Amino acid sequence: MNYYGFLQDVGGASRVTKMRREAIENASVFPVKYDAIAETAKAWHPGKLRLVVKEIRQASPTAKTVRFVRKDGGELPYFYAGQFISLEFEIDGKTVSRPYSISSAPFEARGEGSFAEITVRRSKGDGFIADYINDKLKPGDEVTGNMGLGQFYWEPLRDSKHVVALAGGTGITPFASMAKEIAAGKLDYDLTIIFGSVSADDIILKDELDRIKCDKVKIVHVLSGDDPSWQGERGFITADIIKKYSAKDSTYFICGPQAMYRFMREELKKLDIPARRVRFEVFGQARDITAYDGYPAEKAGETFSLTVKRGIAEDVIPARACESLVTAFERAGIKIDTACRSGECGFCRTKVLSGEYFVCPENDGRRAADKDFNYVHACSCYPLSDMTVRIPIE
Amino acid sequence: MKYYKDHYDVIVIGGALAGLSSALMLADKGLDVLVLERHNLPGGVATSFVRGGIEIEATLHEMMSIGEKGNRLKVGKFFDDMGVDIDWMKVPECYHASLPGLEVTLHPGLRKFAGEIDAVVPGTFSKVLSLLQLCDRVYNSVNELSIHPMSKPMMLLKHNDFVRTAGYTTKEILDTFDLPQKALDLLAPYWIYVGSGFSDLPFTIYAVLMADYVGYGSYIPRKFSHEMSLKLAERAEEMGVQIEYKQHVEKILVKDGKVYGVRTARGDEIHSDYVISAAYPNKVYTSMIEPLSEVPEKAIKMVNGRRLGLSAFSVIMILDRTAEELGIKDYSIFRGKTMDTDACYEELKGLGPYNYATCICHNLANPDATPAGTCSFSITTLPRADGWKAVGPDRIYEVKHKVAKALIDDMSEYLGVDLLDHILEIVIETPMTISHYTGMWNGCIYGYAHTMEDHIIARLQTEEEDRFIEGLEFAGAHQISGDGMGPAVTNGRKAAKLVLDDIAKKRKGASAK
Repeated sequence: MNYYGFLQDVGGASRVTKMRREAIENASVFPVKYDAIAETAKAWHPGKLRLVVKEIRQASPTAKTVRFVRKDGGELPYFYAGQFISLEFEIDGKTVSRPYSISSAPFEARGEGSFAEITVRRSKGDGFIADYINDKLKPGDEVTGNMGLGQFYWEPLRDSKHVVALAGGTGITPFASMAKEIAAGKLDYDLTIIFGSVSADDIILKDELDRIKCDKVKIVHVLSGDDPSWQGERGFITADIIKKYSAKDSTYFICGPQAMYRFMREELKKLDIPARRVRFEVFGQARDITAYDGYPAEKAGETFSLTVKRGIAEDVIPARACESLVTAFERAGIKIDTACRSGECGFCRTKVLSGEYFVCPENDGRRAADKDFNYVHACSCYPLSDMTVRIPIE
Repeated sequence: MKYYKDHYDVIVIGGALAGLSSALMLADKGLDVLVLERHNLPGGVATSFVRGGIEIEATLHEMMSIGEKGNRLKVGKFFDDMGVDIDWMKVPECYHASLPGLEVTLHPGLRKFAGEIDAVVPGTFSKVLSLLQLCDRVYNSVNELSIHPMSKPMMLLKHNDFVRTAGYTTKEILDTFDLPQKALDLLAPYWIYVGSGFSDLPFTIYAVLMADYVGYGSYIPRKFSHEMSLKLAERAEEMGVQIEYKQHVEKILVKDGKVYGVRTARGDEIHSDYVISAAYPNKVYTSMIEPLSEVPEKAIKMVNGRRLGLSAFSVIMILDRTAEELGIKDYSIFRGKTMDTDACYEELKGLGPYNYATCICHNLANPDATPAGTCSFSITTLPRADGWKAVGPDRIYEVKHKVAKALIDDMSEYLGVDLLDHILEIVIETPMTISHYTGMWNGCIYGYAHTMEDHIIARLQTEEEDRFIEGLEFAGAHQISGDGMGPAVTNGRKAAKLVLDDIAKKRKGASAK
């Protein structure tokens, strides 16, 4: 049997070699530098950008909206309504970064006058950057920003065309972005925002939300404080209230303070909603790591020695057991790239070479193989002994 | 602060499979190696990501050239030899072919595979088996000749089939077997792993593809391709390689025709005797060499005279049902509305609809790939960048969703269940996604296409003619062995070998003086 018997040809190799030489010899000498695919990718993800504060205005008696434009005057990146920006502030010679949901709409970042906004409430004493933004930041100041990041956005192939947004306090910001984008006709789904605030006179972004006139956007305020004149929904956002405003097969988006998440999880359980219909935004670093199961309380007050390797360089800095490694780096003026600060995005992926540590169980977005090789996401990792780590050179 | 040594023997640009394989081999020979990777983890597209607490494979379908323990093939053996211990899991079948009038699952083993084709296209066993055996002989020759080059008369004597099939396309050789169309269709699905239609694909490449996958089956790492990338990186570091993440190399520094280092986006200028680049020659010769006057015209011709291979479009889903509940029975489903590979290739120039797709359900090779009650399911097509180049930033959202939906709808129809009702997580990867994370030229993951004009044998014969700057080597899909994660390792080893040969040559020259 000889199916390929016709192949008496032994010159194939020489023939194809000649073909290749000819093809190259006949090719153009004009260097093509342009990579169209990379240009499109860059329009969405240019990386860190230098931004300037254009204006600051009150978003409620306790919160401010800050508008940023690109320092070079260009257009900001494309992003999805609901995504966040990671902002780096230089304060007292140190770089500190924080993620904030973008409260402006994607269409507002397009064309002439392109801008993006964040809305930040003054803290009750635990938010050093929140207070810096509210008290110190002023028009003309410069910051570095990386946007749009995160997974908290409506995905047409996955999510229902009816969305119920459950917002608490500044958790309204991603939904403000979605609402404005829908009202502008850029997104096509029905959005009902159930928005929990304490009192009627301190509802974040109230004026802006009131101005949205669109059949597809509905806003239901729920007040937890006792305001006798309030006519609307009262108390917390309970299963009953959620049910009242749900459609058949709604998708639920939840954004708010950490305490709200635990409450919401319980309420949503009562409604028997399939897992794929519920999406929580990440909520940042744990407020109090010592409160988590498994955290060795006896270590909470200790400060350890943290050896930080970058390339062939080495620094030794202090690290408190109750603060994340990222906080230790930032306090010591060691630059590290972060984005979500919730253990999810992996920007601050760090190799632990030695030492004991605790990873916040709610914020553990590590890959399985990374766990095996002692990689941590520094924003959700807390030292329990002296440690040596390796981080990228920034 | 000083982060780098004053000098390295070799700087490797890109810490993916090719670059890390180079680094490992060089470190094994005692060289001082620095790897600069632009992302914050190793692997390039050989990686995974976590969404909603679930780890998801980014790209790997299946690894070729691994082989079972005790009888490893070349990539598996290289990992073993280098002390890179990967938890390989065997993929149970070659593929389920869902083609016009055919629903067949084919398994590895030349005789088994031929027997399973014979069961649906009776009377083809001996012909199919002899084709596969021909593939196997060519494959063995390629493997042997890549290690021990020999004279033409010797080649003719010992590698007759290899020599005699060298000048022909896959179609030309397949035609001589006079097989019925259905049998030919069942022998075609793997084409997408090499990415050229059969009337332009060198038979040599087809032979390697079929002999390796059908003869020995394929494997995946238990903890996704990130396990493989990370273990390579960890082992390299253990052997003294310095790996720096988030370092984007912008320039390769050249003087008097010889490389002397690189400069990163951060501004670090780092010196070395050799540079191995995973960045495409297209990018290196048009914008990375400094000064550009060091780039000879011939180098520009070399990149312009070759056709870029494929990019990728993938819809990756975590579904809220098990594979069994959704009626997914096979790890890989290759689904084509036609199995005319030339027609399929033409389609890849556009933006869809794409009528040929490959689907992977990891749980069917690795039951614990996702949490209980869920499964992963990806649908991939591998378009050329051409069509996607015209999709600017304004339209990418709309276009990618349209293409993704068409692929999901088709698979929903096939499975008889609307996958859109079961999506826990979904990620759509486009050529832009690849470009964003890896910087690969035009989002192209297949390097230069395997064609008759750019035949692997011709690449080997003209290897020296493709080298333009002393001390500069390349490692990646754009090198001789072409696309795929297995070949990436081989390409990386080849670059390391060129460096080692050059060092040996220089030492010999020096001692002769």
